[in-house]
Amino acid sequence: MTESASIRVQALQKSFWDESRGEVQAVDGIDFDCHEGEVFGLLGANGAGKTTTLRMLATILKPTGGRASLNGYDVLTEPESVRRSLGFYSATTALYPRLTGRETLEFFARINRYPGDQVAQRVETLIERFGIAEYADARVEKLSSGMKQKISIARTIVHDPPVLIFDEPTVGLDVMAALEMQHVIRELRDEGKCIIFSTHIMSEAEKLCDRIAIIHQGRILALGTLEEHRQATGQHYLEDIFLHEVMAVEGSA
Amino acid sequence: MDWRDIWILYRHELRSALRERAIVVNSILMPLFLYPVMLWVMLTALVFVTGLSERTSSRLVILDVPAAHTVLMDTLQARTNLEIREDVVSADSAATLIRVGELDALMEFLPPEADARGMDDNFQVLIRYDRAVERSRRARDRVEGIVAGYRRRWIEREASALGISDADQQQFRIIQDNVSSGQQMGALLMGVMIPLFLVLMVALGCLVPAIDSTAGERERSTWETLMTVSASRLSVVTAKYFYVATLGILAGVLNVAAMFVSLGAIVGPLLADVGAGADAFQFSLPLLALPVMIVAAIALALFFAAAMMILAAFARTFKDGQAMVTPVYWLAMLPIVLGQQTDQTLTPAIAAIPVANAARMIRDAINGVFIWPLIAETLAVLLVMVAACLLLARAVLQFEDLMIGSFDGSFWRFAKERLMGKRAREGTR
Repeated sequence: MTESASIRVQALQKSFWDESRGEVQAVDGIDFDCHEGEVFGLLGANGAGKTTTLRMLATILKPTGGRASLNGYDVLTEPESVRRSLGFYSATTALYPRLTGRETLEFFARINRYPGDQVAQRVETLIERFGIAEYADARVEKLSSGMKQKISIARTIVHDPPVLIFDEPTVGLDVMAALEMQHVIRELRDEGKCIIFSTHIMSEAEKLCDRIAIIHQGRILALGTLEEHRQATGQHYLEDIFLHEVMAVEGSA
Repeated sequence: MDWRDIWILYRHELRSALRERAIVVNSILMPLFLYPVMLWVMLTALVFVTGLSERTSSRLVILDVPAAHTVLMDTLQARTNLEIREDVVSADSAATLIRVGELDALMEFLPPEADARGMDDNFQVLIRYDRAVERSRRARDRVEGIVAGYRRRWIEREASALGISDADQQQFRIIQDNVSSGQQMGALLMGVMIPLFLVLMVALGCLVPAIDSTAGERERSTWETLMTVSASRLSVVTAKYFYVATLGILAGVLNVAAMFVSLGAIVGPLLADVGAGADAFQFSLPLLALPVMIVAAIALALFFAAAMMILAAFARTFKDGQAMVTPVYWLAMLPIVLGQQTDQTLTPAIAAIPVANAARMIRDAINGVFIWPLIAETLAVLLVMVAACLLLARAVLQFEDLMIGSFDGSFWRFAKERLMGKRAREGTR
């Protein structure tokens, strides 16, 4: 994998029109890079602009300013190539209830252009990797949320994309499922994937992320490794670091 | 747009749909079985009710029978389906009993009008009944039939006694002769039923898939999942559109096939049972009618699929989608009425009215009438409507806030805010 397998975001902006509030700047000129073999965390409160940023990277939304590229492809001009290089997982992305787990994986592999003659082998590999063989041929609607979560992760990586986006992936999961998710993300990082991960849970960001960007009101307030944040703020815990950065902005406002 | 992606997505939609009970019922089972079963139930019930009615006796009071016409009295008394009551002796009390439902009819002999006393023993019969009551109406029909027959024979006898020949008596007889063949009568019945059901079934076949593939996708939270696959938005929407249209066509074709079979196998014999005659209705179609009907079903399905998907795309839940799309289904019925006059063929004006034109074109085809320029106009009008819907869909898809489910699931709010309001001036960013 090359340097181009990273995410590059430059002065990215997104504004929405709201009938009551008028023009709302959801993302306000953010910059960051994310490289292969790295978990990059976007840490922010609800409404900070995390999901909007990730939706722009996944080409679900179009930026209103700035640039972003994934794996060397521009999100505005090459959206199909971007999505082919991308696995997107969020608490709001569900599976097709009437398909089986195996059919789900086959469908997403084919539609994301995984080589046709290797689809069956790839699906088998993932079924084995995530331990879902027992219920791979049952319809998704019959499965427990834990089983669905495993299929959902397998669905995200079935076409072996170099870039993965996890948008608040542990929202609504119980402790064991959340730990399982963190374990999978670490494994994928170790395989060399470029992973961008958003959360509002401090402990999760602390444990998982190689670098963390603190995002507030659409702007990145601070970006660096946990150690760099500690040195810059004099705070030890990420929660305190986050509060320090946010209060600095709120206080100066 | 990539046809490989469209094929993968189309198969995916179809596979998923065929596992959804609501879609299978609405788009396959209902077109196949509902109307044949409904027709069978209705006609069987008709035969049953007619049989029951025939067996029910009519309660009758007869007053002031002239001595010269006791034979009529004997005829009435001999009928097993007439129960003649002799405990009522006045017209007023009989009328009261009819009003309260204890009597079905009063038959009262009256003297003839002053200018009709040329013949001895001439008479009038007053039949009093309650028109609002089925049983009373039936009693009137029975009595009227018997009296009319008696009167005809009596006049013939009197005329003969006066030396008036049979030929002179028959001068003003009205003779009816139906020149329609059984095949034409069958075509008439099919021409009324098949266009109506074909249009409705195509619309019904599109209804649930259109909602399921848009609002349903959003409700299940699979919309965002689909938006992150590498296929283009246009490929995704095209595949969904073809899938919805396929189920509409399937519903229409299955329904016509089932209807055709059931008309011959169920309706024909049952109509014969209720007195229409065994050969009164024969059901067969001109060979060219089949391709015309299939082409009509395809054009209608393409139109309904596009119109329904545009509206359903705004809905956030399946229920919202039903509320938005169902009016299209009912609106489809209005033009059908225009296409149902049985004494007209397709005209340039009717051919310009979407849906009505297809209904009329199908009816003409069933009757063996093929006016090719007007068939071409009909198809052109429908395809223009399809193109207009697809252009609208393409314009609407430019708005990403639609893709993420804004506007409270309302097309009208979208039109107000995005097409006519302040945001419209800001472009589609």
